[in-house]
Amino acid sequence: MKTVKSFVAMVKASLKMFMRNKGTIVFSLLLPMVMLSVFGFLSSNSGPAIRLAITNHSTTEMAAEFEKELVQVGAFSIETLSEAEAADALGKGHVDLHVIVPERFGEMKDGRPVPEQIETRFNNGKPQGAQIANLVISQIVNSLDRKFTGNAPMLSIKTTGVTVNDLGYFDFVLPGILAMTIMQLGIFSVAFSFVAWKLNGALRRIQATPIHPFQFVLAQAVVRLIVVIMTATVLVGFGAWFFDFHMMGSYIDFALVCIIGALIFLGVGFSIAGWAREETQVAPVANLVQLPLLLLSGIFFPAEVFPKWLQSITNFLPLTYVVDAMRKIANEGTSLWELPGDLLGMCVWMAVTYTIAVKLFRWE
Amino acid sequence: MSSSIVLQVENLVKTYDNGVEAVKGVSFNVNRGEVFGILGPNGAGKTTTLEMIEGLRPITSGTIILDGINAVQHPYKIKERIGIQLQSSSFFQNLRLNELIEMFAALYGCKVDPLKLLDDVGLKDKARAMVKELSGGQKQRFSIATTLVNNPVVVFLDEPTTGLDPQARRNLWELIGQIRERGTTVVLTTHYMDEAQSLCDRIAIMDDGKIVALDSPGQLIRQLLARGFTPRTEVHAATLEDVFLDLTGKTLRD
Repeated sequence: MKTVKSFVAMVKASLKMFMRNKGTIVFSLLLPMVMLSVFGFLSSNSGPAIRLAITNHSTTEMAAEFEKELVQVGAFSIETLSEAEAADALGKGHVDLHVIVPERFGEMKDGRPVPEQIETRFNNGKPQGAQIANLVISQIVNSLDRKFTGNAPMLSIKTTGVTVNDLGYFDFVLPGILAMTIMQLGIFSVAFSFVAWKLNGALRRIQATPIHPFQFVLAQAVVRLIVVIMTATVLVGFGAWFFDFHMMGSYIDFALVCIIGALIFLGVGFSIAGWAREETQVAPVANLVQLPLLLLSGIFFPAEVFPKWLQSITNFLPLTYVVDAMRKIANEGTSLWELPGDLLGMCVWMAVTYTIAVKLFRWE
Repeated sequence: MSSSIVLQVENLVKTYDNGVEAVKGVSFNVNRGEVFGILGPNGAGKTTTLEMIEGLRPITSGTIILDGINAVQHPYKIKERIGIQLQSSSFFQNLRLNELIEMFAALYGCKVDPLKLLDDVGLKDKARAMVKELSGGQKQRFSIATTLVNNPVVVFLDEPTTGLDPQARRNLWELIGQIRERGTTVVLTTHYMDEAQSLCDRIAIMDDGKIVALDSPGQLIRQLLARGFTPRTEVHAATLEDVFLDLTGKTLRD
């Protein structure tokens, strides 16, 4: 009981100390939030409307009907321009498709429309939008044809809108940034403070009390885990609120991966803290560990872009397992127990880092 | 063993892995309620001796009995009963003095009134300050306050006045006197002779890992004079420090 009280007091004091360190707050919350915002804004203007310019030379009812139907298509943004203006806009890439309705379009003769052609012009360099638009336009023309001639449709298409998991780049990058933040928090927050305490005698002062040194280390780890959970909550909440981040899976599984990831990198932090004899040794070594992980673990882009031989290495990096598990849970709704590969990888890395930490750790 | 002996050290030896013998068989007793000084030049083995008693450094051989407990077998039981001021201990940054006191008390499983304790060492108005805002003398007084949270049987002070100005030094002597009046035994190391002379009931002089003399300051001086010693300089009725304190006053400059 006395031990528990001492431990709680230690955690409370350490948490206070940690939260008063402004650098920590900046690196574990503000910086990731800025990065999320940047990526969020970059990916939010995906799938813009297809831009149409229309030049209507006809005054018939059918031509007016055609224009009306076109405007109603949600995927189009439509401007009415003269032929010359539209040609200019198309040339400059401001418009994807130029639709020209000829003068005699929709004129009737003996109960049938005069044969006429709607002309469309598009930028050869960007055919995707124009092809979709062409399909839609020919469909509208066909339906107008039937409507005005009274012919029953021979064949028709029934379309139904389906809502799908609309996962964008933001859903991919948020777990990446969170994993990165957890890694940096684990490595740097432990390594820097322990080396400083080792050098200025604060650790020795703790050793002079009846608390077991292991309890002190554990209290520090608990504090970091609390901060990791707070960071994850804030970042996921921020992403969901402002940038429509989708959490398909269980929050508990996601939190578990955060904690396991943090434990792995705390082990790295304790190893560096144990080994370093001077504060100036911490930053280079910590960066030597974290920079390759940052680049090779598929934080900002999928690891599939790497050549096969490189992937056979990067697939086994600790951060790869963490970020992969996070993405499978958040993006695909997989449960953690359905990811034995990631789970095993993380456990092996935990065993590795703590073996090194125990070997290297010194109190003075 | 008489109950008036609170600390019994016998044949204490420390040999480092590289073969250096830092402490070569030290024996002494400390009486309950006295101020016991360990004197000696740098490297004499004072700090190593203290750290072995405090359970901070493994001993090579010897026995240490503190308050009836074998310190070698039960280092954690010993730590609960003593207060330790390390030679150069820093405290955690970003915590206020009252919070640090509370934390240290909790580490001993004790509850204290931080303000009362800080008042005892003259730091009540600094309760909400951080350690880095304190002067040298204030830091030492705070450091001593953290050794008192568990109401210890023995307080160990390792060079408590090193680096302090004369006013702060006198002030700390007074504080040590107050601790002794509470009935707490004090064991301190110093290399200031005047400090030993005015503070300590008994002193052990260490050199090269051994105790070369152990008695009260007055007795040691009488023994030296009895051996026919004559001081090299003429004896003044006052010292230069007396002059300094007379000119600058005794008030603290923190």
